[in-house]
Amino acid sequence: MKDNMNWSLFWSTFKKTYSIYLVLLALFIVCSFANPNFLSVNNLTNISTQLAVTTILAFGQTILIISGMLDLSAGSVLALSGVFAVSAYKSTGSFTVAIVTGIVTGVVCNVVNAVMVSTFKTPPFIATLAMLTMARGVALLFTKGQNILQLEDFTILGQGSIGFIPIPVLFLIAFAIITWYLLRHTKFGRSLFAVGGNEEAAAASGINVSKVKYSAFIINGIFVGVAGILFMSRVNAGLPNGAINYEFTALTAAIIGGTSFSGGIGSAGGTLAGAFIVGFLDNIMNLTNVDSYMQQIIRGAIIALAVIYDIRSKNRRTKNTLGRIEDKSGKSGKSGGRRGEPIQEIAKGPH
Amino acid sequence: MKKTFITVVSMLLVLVLLAACGNSNTQSSSGSEAQGNNSGEKVYKVAYIARAQSDSFAAWLANAVKEEAKKYPNIKLEVFDGQASDDKENSMIENAITNKFDLVIVQPNNGEAQRPYVEKVINAGIFAITTNARISGIEGASTVDADPYEQAGVNARAALDQIPQNAKVVVLNGPSGNFHADKRRESWQKEFFDKRPDVQIVGEQIANWNKDEAMKYMEDWVQANDKIDAVVSMNDNMAAGALEAVKDNAKYSGMLAYGVDGTAEAFQLIKEGKMTSTCLQNAFELAEKLLDTSNKLLTGVEKQIDTDIGNPLITKDNVDEYIELLEKAEALK
Amino acid sequence: MEQSIKLRVSQIEKSFPGVKALDKIDFTVKKGSVHVLCGENGAGKSTLMKIINGIHQPDGGQIFIDEKPVKIGSPIQARNLGISMIFQELNYVPEMTVEENIFLGNLPANRFGKVDWKQVRQRTTELLRAENLPYSPTTLLKDLTVSDIQMLEIMKAISYKSDIIIMDEPTSAITHEEVDKMFVKIRELQARGVSIIYISHKLDEIFQIADEITVFRDGTVVESHPREELDIETVISLMVGRKLTNTYPKEEVEIGDTLLKVENLSGAGGYRNVSFHVRKGEMVGFAGLIGAGRTEVMRSLFGLDPIASGHVYIKGRKVTIKNVEQSIKNGMVMLSEDRRRYGIIPMRSVKENTTLSSLKSVFYRFRHHGKVEQDIVSDMFQKMRVKTPSMDTVIASLSGGNQQKVLLAKWMILGPDILILDEPTRGIDVGAKFEIYKLMTELVKEGKVVIMVSSELPELLGMCDRIYVMAKGTITGEISRGDFSQEQIMKYATGSITSNEVNRIER
Repeated sequence: MKDNMNWSLFWSTFKKTYSIYLVLLALFIVCSFANPNFLSVNNLTNISTQLAVTTILAFGQTILIISGMLDLSAGSVLALSGVFAVSAYKSTGSFTVAIVTGIVTGVVCNVVNAVMVSTFKTPPFIATLAMLTMARGVALLFTKGQNILQLEDFTILGQGSIGFIPIPVLFLIAFAIITWYLLRHTKFGRSLFAVGGNEEAAAASGINVSKVKYSAFIINGIFVGVAGILFMSRVNAGLPNGAINYEFTALTAAIIGGTSFSGGIGSAGGTLAGAFIVGFLDNIMNLTNVDSYMQQIIRGAIIALAVIYDIRSKNRRTKNTLGRIEDKSGKSGKSGGRRGEPIQEIAKGPH
Repeated sequence: MKKTFITVVSMLLVLVLLAACGNSNTQSSSGSEAQGNNSGEKVYKVAYIARAQSDSFAAWLANAVKEEAKKYPNIKLEVFDGQASDDKENSMIENAITNKFDLVIVQPNNGEAQRPYVEKVINAGIFAITTNARISGIEGASTVDADPYEQAGVNARAALDQIPQNAKVVVLNGPSGNFHADKRRESWQKEFFDKRPDVQIVGEQIANWNKDEAMKYMEDWVQANDKIDAVVSMNDNMAAGALEAVKDNAKYSGMLAYGVDGTAEAFQLIKEGKMTSTCLQNAFELAEKLLDTSNKLLTGVEKQIDTDIGNPLITKDNVDEYIELLEKAEALK
Repeated sequence: MEQSIKLRVSQIEKSFPGVKALDKIDFTVKKGSVHVLCGENGAGKSTLMKIINGIHQPDGGQIFIDEKPVKIGSPIQARNLGISMIFQELNYVPEMTVEENIFLGNLPANRFGKVDWKQVRQRTTELLRAENLPYSPTTLLKDLTVSDIQMLEIMKAISYKSDIIIMDEPTSAITHEEVDKMFVKIRELQARGVSIIYISHKLDEIFQIADEITVFRDGTVVESHPREELDIETVISLMVGRKLTNTYPKEEVEIGDTLLKVENLSGAGGYRNVSFHVRKGEMVGFAGLIGAGRTEVMRSLFGLDPIASGHVYIKGRKVTIKNVEQSIKNGMVMLSEDRRRYGIIPMRSVKENTTLSSLKSVFYRFRHHGKVEQDIVSDMFQKMRVKTPSMDTVIASLSGGNQQKVLLAKWMILGPDILILDEPTRGIDVGAKFEIYKLMTELVKEGKVVIMVSSELPELLGMCDRIYVMAKGTITGEISRGDFSQEQIMKYATGSITSNEVNRIER
């Protein structure tokens, strides 16, 4: 009887932590059977290379979503950083100058985001929506809407390999580790979870909320800048119109990976798994030549499923792991009035 | 400390905005300065309403029209951006009527959506030209265009002889619902696929005119098929993306690739022998004809004009002369 | 008067993974009676009520209404069976009107779904008149007081024509006067034959209102008796399963030099010229009515809200505190009155919640030291007797008392000199309260100081060495332990008199 209970407790914890990897594994197996080409080394390398750019964006989004924010401008800022980096390379021929230009552009745009969000208290959704339009506008203005061509050696970052591993995949691995390290091994990471989980409580615990938000955006800026460089290098052009809607692909990966939109929950591994789930699906649909329109429907359905799962598991968590709880505290998930929800509890009352 | 910071940031933001506005001002007025000295002669106000400044061909065309307008001292041109939205474009047409332009050039976002508004222009007694793509059959409105069906058609007809028997091909489409995307695809169907039932389409996706999306699809198709004989793309960007995906793969060195538009990148690829052919949609030629037509209408030489630019097929044989042409026009940087 | 049985549950069982929440519960409520449930948090009261209200489904057992077996699958079914529940902490939409709120989820509509607003208005007006409530159907909820809204909830229950109303700690957020008003209402309902199930921790209230009392402990019914057969001590001992010898574990501690001195503090929160001091080893209370400005003073002191003017001295040194970080650096920490808003990070583990303010001690040399964190936390938990299934359990799933202990543990790791506690025992059970009192005592014995803001006079009188009383944003009185009297405090608190000592300070 007692063992039984421990087992169920263990299983619910296990499921909570590892279910995403089980889904990934299951999908991997299904794909392997669905098409013989799926399992080839070439194809798997291919998928990883294709995923590198959006997954790096997704890591940035994960950091932001955990702290209760998000970045809708990622795709546009990526294009701007990339276009700037490419022209810097074309005019100087220096990788260093190009990379620094790209990263600085990403960071500057995200500092503006942070100013709007943290200092002027604009909702992140609106602040970054504004940046989405502005950054794209600047990219188009700068290039007069034309693609920048003939990048020559610059393509090595996106198309080259070291040994048999493509350079974008190395970047992907590096950023996965950086994100994991930031979230798990730094004070900053722990503070992100606290700020996203309950901003007021974090502030009342001595966490500098504004500093955390600025840092989160700046880190996102670095990620976006690097993604921009990789993107342009990979397509061998400076595309001011490139990477449209990439922010949504990135958000999708983060959500499927279990990052909770109510903040305070998420992990690098989950996002990586989420990105690969999307990547495997896209790939298998292309390998088996699924119709374009159908692909969109399936992708949408997957997001809906992921969100439903997120919500359900959250409910179950409050019911389940209760220990011996009369869960008046269970309601607290909804509480706190974060993000300007108009709901208040009576208990706060007019003190 | 914090306050100072906020103030500084706000001022910076304002500065950036002002700078941006200042910029656009100088741009739109640059055309008018040119003919400022020629007083005495009547100056006509012409509105050019672009589909979207963010679309690279539309942007090229808008710039070409701007340049071309400088050659006409009697025309004062203003460019508006329809931002790829029917709504915005329609309201810009209405604004042009209210602001009493003498002639309105419309590059529709979606022909049928703009038709009633172009009719309004005519009813207001204002000259109208529709271009790229034309809206045909409006009484009193002139048209200047390249025919998208023909643009794809010249490629498709050439492909009839080039693509081998029982070939496997992949198709890259523009956004569905887009006039040019649909017309070009239709042309490939009628001019090529219907006549060559032996050819098998092993992959067909919408890559939204984008190089990066096309690249990704091509990478996947390469995994799924042991060979692909040809890439049929509705524009050059996507063809370039597909070629980028296989550029280091010796197996695909002989692959055929077709596009439309005549972008600088496509010319380069054709010159290098990687791409088979494209059809030039020459923005300069369009701009030339647009301004010429405008001038003729405004000065009363003619009442209505319908004209097309040519649809030259660009192949390795003639690519150099077109590169030269474009270089002369400073399109290739 | 023989009353018939309205509600009966028989052999109800309910398990959650890892825990048996209810074990073979038998329990009856008579028609037209007030049945009080008490027990520590986690004893199973709320779970049972949620089963009766259809939110949870029992694993076994049967529910009878009017002795007929029923199945309650959802709160809507419960409502149709005449059961309504008023929750302890209500979520409401401030921009909603009274009438919208009353008919929320129950709007009269025609076939096409068009709401009959005329009928809504009419019925609301009738209800308001019948209940003698002085506001109009179109008043916005944000313009009402807490107790008004509580009344509204009761009205809502009445509007459903419920004959069983469950109230989960309805008085936890309202004033004494309002409590009296509510009890009158409950008596009225009772007279109409409505059965009330009333959950409360406030034992004095329980004895005022109850007809019958059932005590829960560890998922079982301990005992169930008519009120006349019980007294407060018996109920407490039934609840905790042991006799609490001493409700307030106050110990004599030697009092030293002044550690904290506040001079003429004024702030935007609506308090002015507040001066007080606390000496080493001292436990100082702040009494006053809700809205007297006590919380605002403490928040400013702790750096959560700005100070307009005035000075703060810690250990004789003048300090500037503009944010919580600075406050912590000066050895001053504060436990907020609103645990859920300013305390817990609900979805994170108890471990992370505990070390939130001392991240430096677990993140150093470029990495996280999991073992160190584990040790620090388990050390603290042992000391503070925090009960949690594991260190990685999310804090939201702990009982209120345990959450509070975790939050206290968070501060204790820092070893603060000054601990400000704002309503530290609100909404937590007797056992946990006692442990928190003991902790406070430990602290002052170590030469630290505790400042306690509380609306429960008995605990202030029981624990403090000195009490400051506030009214309308200023300190109106100061009383030392020797002179403690409830009457005196109430006089100061209502602002009817001001103590000489305070006058002296203010001058």
